[in-house]
Amino acid sequence: MTTLAFLSPGASVTSRSSMERHAIAAGATMEERDGWNLAVSFPGEQSALATAGFADMSHLGKLELQASADDLASIVSTSVRERLELGRATRAEGAWWCPYSAERAVVLCPPADTAALREHLTRAAADASGLASVIDTTTALGALTIAGPLAREVFARFTAIDLRPQVTPVFGFRPGSVARTGGAIVCEAPDRYLMVFGAALGQYVWTVVADAAEHLGGGPVGVDALEPLDA
Amino acid sequence: MTRLPEQGGERIERDTEVSFSFDGRKVTALEGDTIGSALYVDGQRTFSRSFKYHRRRGLLCCAGQCPNCLVAVDGAPGVRACTEPVREGMKVEHMNASPSLDFDVMRTTDLVGGPFTPPGFYYKTFIRPRRFWPLYEKVLRHAAGLGKLRKSQPEREWRTEYRRRHADVLVVGGGAAGLNAAATAAELGADVILADEGPEPGGRLLAEGGVTHARGLVERARAAGVEILQNAPALGTFDGLVPVWQGDTLHQIRAQRQIFATGAIEQPLLFPGNDLPGVMLSGGARRLIGMYAVKPGTRAVVATVDDRGLHAALALIEAGVEVLCVADLRPHPNGGPSGALQRKNVELVCGSSVLEVRGRRELDSVVIGPPGTNEGGRTFACDLLVVSGGSAPATSLIAQAGGKTSYDEARGHFALAHLPDGVLVAGEVTGHAALEAAERSGMTAGADAAHALGFGDADSRERADADRERLAAPPARESAVAVPPPVMSERDGKCFACLCEDVTAKDIHLSVEEGYDSIELSKRYTTTTMGPCQGRMCQLPAVRLMAKETGTSMSDVGTTTPRPPWHATPLGAFAGRPFEPAKRSSIHARHRELGANVMWAGDWRRAYDYGDPKAEAMAVHKAAGLIDVSTLGKLIVRGPDAGEFLDRLYPNRFSNLKPGRIRYGVIASDSGRIMDDGTICRLDDENFYVTTTSSGAGAIYDWFTWWLADWQLDVHVVDMTQGLSAVNLAGPRAREIMGKLTELDCSAEGFTYLDGKQAEVAGVPCLILRIGFVGEVGYEIHCPAAQGEHLWDALMDAGREFGVQPFGLEPQRLLRLQKMHILIGQDTDSESTPFAAAMPWIVKLDKEQDFIGKWALEHYAEQPAETALVGFTLSNGHVPTEGAVVMPENGSPMGQVTSARYSQQLGRVIGMAWVPAALAKDGARITISDEDKRLEGEVQTSPFYDPDGEILRS
Amino acid sequence: MSYVLICPNCGPREVTDFGYGGELNPRPKKTPTLRELGEYNYFRRNVAGVQREWWVHRSGCGDWFIAERDTRTNQVHWTKPVSEVFGDGPDTAGAAAGGADGGGAAGGHGV
Repeated sequence: MTTLAFLSPGASVTSRSSMERHAIAAGATMEERDGWNLAVSFPGEQSALATAGFADMSHLGKLELQASADDLASIVSTSVRERLELGRATRAEGAWWCPYSAERAVVLCPPADTAALREHLTRAAADASGLASVIDTTTALGALTIAGPLAREVFARFTAIDLRPQVTPVFGFRPGSVARTGGAIVCEAPDRYLMVFGAALGQYVWTVVADAAEHLGGGPVGVDALEPLDA
Repeated sequence: MTRLPEQGGERIERDTEVSFSFDGRKVTALEGDTIGSALYVDGQRTFSRSFKYHRRRGLLCCAGQCPNCLVAVDGAPGVRACTEPVREGMKVEHMNASPSLDFDVMRTTDLVGGPFTPPGFYYKTFIRPRRFWPLYEKVLRHAAGLGKLRKSQPEREWRTEYRRRHADVLVVGGGAAGLNAAATAAELGADVILADEGPEPGGRLLAEGGVTHARGLVERARAAGVEILQNAPALGTFDGLVPVWQGDTLHQIRAQRQIFATGAIEQPLLFPGNDLPGVMLSGGARRLIGMYAVKPGTRAVVATVDDRGLHAALALIEAGVEVLCVADLRPHPNGGPSGALQRKNVELVCGSSVLEVRGRRELDSVVIGPPGTNEGGRTFACDLLVVSGGSAPATSLIAQAGGKTSYDEARGHFALAHLPDGVLVAGEVTGHAALEAAERSGMTAGADAAHALGFGDADSRERADADRERLAAPPARESAVAVPPPVMSERDGKCFACLCEDVTAKDIHLSVEEGYDSIELSKRYTTTTMGPCQGRMCQLPAVRLMAKETGTSMSDVGTTTPRPPWHATPLGAFAGRPFEPAKRSSIHARHRELGANVMWAGDWRRAYDYGDPKAEAMAVHKAAGLIDVSTLGKLIVRGPDAGEFLDRLYPNRFSNLKPGRIRYGVIASDSGRIMDDGTICRLDDENFYVTTTSSGAGAIYDWFTWWLADWQLDVHVVDMTQGLSAVNLAGPRAREIMGKLTELDCSAEGFTYLDGKQAEVAGVPCLILRIGFVGEVGYEIHCPAAQGEHLWDALMDAGREFGVQPFGLEPQRLLRLQKMHILIGQDTDSESTPFAAAMPWIVKLDKEQDFIGKWALEHYAEQPAETALVGFTLSNGHVPTEGAVVMPENGSPMGQVTSARYSQQLGRVIGMAWVPAALAKDGARITISDEDKRLEGEVQTSPFYDPDGEILRS
Repeated sequence: MSYVLICPNCGPREVTDFGYGGELNPRPKKTPTLRELGEYNYFRRNVAGVQREWWVHRSGCGDWFIAERDTRTNQVHWTKPVSEVFGDGPDTAGAAAGGADGGGAAGGHGV
């Protein structure tokens, strides 16, 4: 095994989100895909999406990049044409490239792509002029997508981050406190936001989001209920 | 029946009846009525009994400003009848009167209590004899407060929402100025929220014939995109964050600019009997007429200090009320409404005011004359006295934001003198009381706010400048104001400065005599301004009285500090949503299924035990135990300087640690005190895996990154605490269990104590650390959290044949105590150094590298510690409380027990304690005093279990 | 207290997003005397006025940065990355930065 191999889930064992049990209790249909046990659909999810639906996206691969600003830019440039810009997530090849600072970024990618992208970035990092790190933080972060016309109302109940479209437009990336814990929000599309937070807080965050969403007529939805982003 | 014919702009719907009950009596109202207007039509004049004297109180302001109409609605106390809309079937009850509103036995406090209930009487009476205190307490508790809360009222449980809002501009106050400000800012492109406390925006326009105009403004504002929050009072300002309470929702609004158009509050006049039902503010009378078509009386006297009362007199006449006399305190009111009044043959008495009022249950006569005349005066028999004592700008919210006021001699009130950055004001709160000026000041403020945020263009700026110029020019006809004296006369009868707390002018006189001569002291002593009105009705009168009593000026007296909440708010609004971020290991559900008792450990939910901590500990000794230690902090520290970085942070050395090996570390601050501990495994040349205590994880990550920001070493730190599960498999059978699940050589020779290796365990990629916190051969296995439950299940399945048991935090505490492994924060405190904590070996002062804590530790190394952390054993079976005192033969306490348990494995009580350094030697005798018990113990400095570590190394 | 700080990376956020590291408290460059050590560890200027201080965007990007704030009004004059205040490169910040447990991280980073 390589030095940091124990950070990445093994291929022969099913990976489980910290919100899996909540999803099952809410009636999810579960299906194993790309090594993860996913909530693919929920009863009543279409009506939830008419107000605010939330889907567990913890299975997204998360790769943390750290390097000097120049090195980070050149590592990223091997996969993304645009330069990363603070406050903005860049969409490339099905992944979100999210800069936390000039020297640190997190890539959120489909689970099937995680291993290959990690290998690719690790090779690119090896060519960097100084210290460059590619760390698999997939299991360190939980993720939820909240979508629907009342998505922002759901967020208004647990975060002070300003998500008005004129302040956080599509592709806006906003690290900050959610439900009184550290997190970040990506505006994936109009009325659709991807939120990440500490994985161990998954059950807690689910409870907070479900409480806010259900009061507004929303509820949990499966990953299949969300429109594909790059369609 | 006192309902008037249709008034333009009335809020009632005459075709829709609504009925409710008041103290069991059925009352029929019209849709749109408030409880107050409906009861008034029904003939009710007494709405409440006062706080201390239980005097009758009637409608005064009809605007939710004063305390006079507080009632209980459906069991919820403290509802203002004058603004609460009627609902079919609602149950309204009086408060603070027993047995009934009409006959209240506590009224005796008023009749006989004057001399017995001066300010602070509760400090002076009910003191002796002391043994009667329980009785006094019962009586006082019964008498205190206004409403009654039932302890359990499930029908009143309701959900409150917190809602974070953002805007470019927030306008507080929906009168003419606020509406203009909001509309103007929005028309220039700003995102605007307007919060108004009333049921409909419009402010004074609603009651004063301007409904159509108000509705036009609302339409204009809405068309420009303004979001209008109705029935939504702002509660305070907190560094630019304004909470607005609306129904069941607390909007927390952060706007880049705030415009306060909060208006002014009409002030009462102070004269004997000024609280009698039938005395009403001019605004209250006008609201009854204009908004609810209620005739407020049949024969009225009006007393005023400015034009406001004259306008009210005209409105009364219009409503068919016979106005007997208008007493205007100004010597020569002329022009405007005075002419109109004269044409209506109303007697206008200048330079006069109310000297006293009479009436038993309610007003029946008023005495008019020049202020200060204590004899004579003209008496008018009437059932309504309309007073207008001038206005006080509603500056509280602005002052909370950092605004300052100063005394305006001409107007006789405290006016705004300084505004903080980002705060704008408009309308009557700035003195622009006339409609045109109020509207123009609103437009100017709205434009200024928008321009400051980059909206608008040259044209709009020019328009705003022109408006500003016109505002600055003095109005053609300034409405003069007479500043009323603190009290109108010294005649018999109570003259109330504070209606909420029943504080009279005489009480303030007494409080000054007793030495409470500053307004802030007097406030606390008399409780003036501390009641439900929050100073709206009493601040200015109290300042006037203080100035008179202390012989100083209004400026010198000043005002009290305004504090939130500005508006009465149910406590539930502040209880809000519970955000209690609870971390849970990915194996948490399994612990639940295994019957774990779960407790908080820092911000984690952890298994305390699985029902039998003693048996769990014995399983570790006899077979194997499995504990979830996912809560440990887990950091990746990597880079060419990683070894040097750790050498600088820890008193011991890590740069010389061999890859694949583990070393224990204690981290100290620059004062040489222990902050945290953990193990560090060197994965390869450039990668270290650092664990911290569970509760220290966040602080240590911050500590690392902070020093990294300072030192700028070539190091990256990644916090994997929540990303990795960790379990510790320990016990004599642990090796066999591992052998079933991994291809790794787990033999004593192949995988020695303090080795760290990576391997798959049950198919899961793992980092396995051979460490021995619990004292038996153990494997601390770290793996991706998403597969932690699988790893746990596999270990439990594989271990079943060997007798593996899950064990919780409590047995772990016993097991580590047997090994004298300290718990940071349990056995150490913020004063503990590694030397005193019996770990001198961990400090490498010969390290060539400077490190955090070095200088202090050098100092402590030379200074023998006064106290030392030692182990002890007790021969009898009593387990001392943690925190029990270590006693000398005689004298004062000299140490304390930090940990103590009964060890079944060792057959005795063991513990750790801080003792004088002289006693830190094997065999020393100590005495522990635990409440009433004295326990004799013996000091032990080496681990109780496996002192030489032979088991661990096996 | 609910003012807004501008994180150099993330932009404006409520102060509750951040951790406070206390006023700048330079770590001695060479071995201090006992008195100097005591002052560094336990003494702060604690001004009623403008001071430079450490903050960390704990709930966001996680970076430490420097702010200049008026302690009387909580008005934040500016916030800047560490490198902008002290320059880049190893140890340059040491001259002016650093903290100890008097008001900083060891005390639990309470805001």
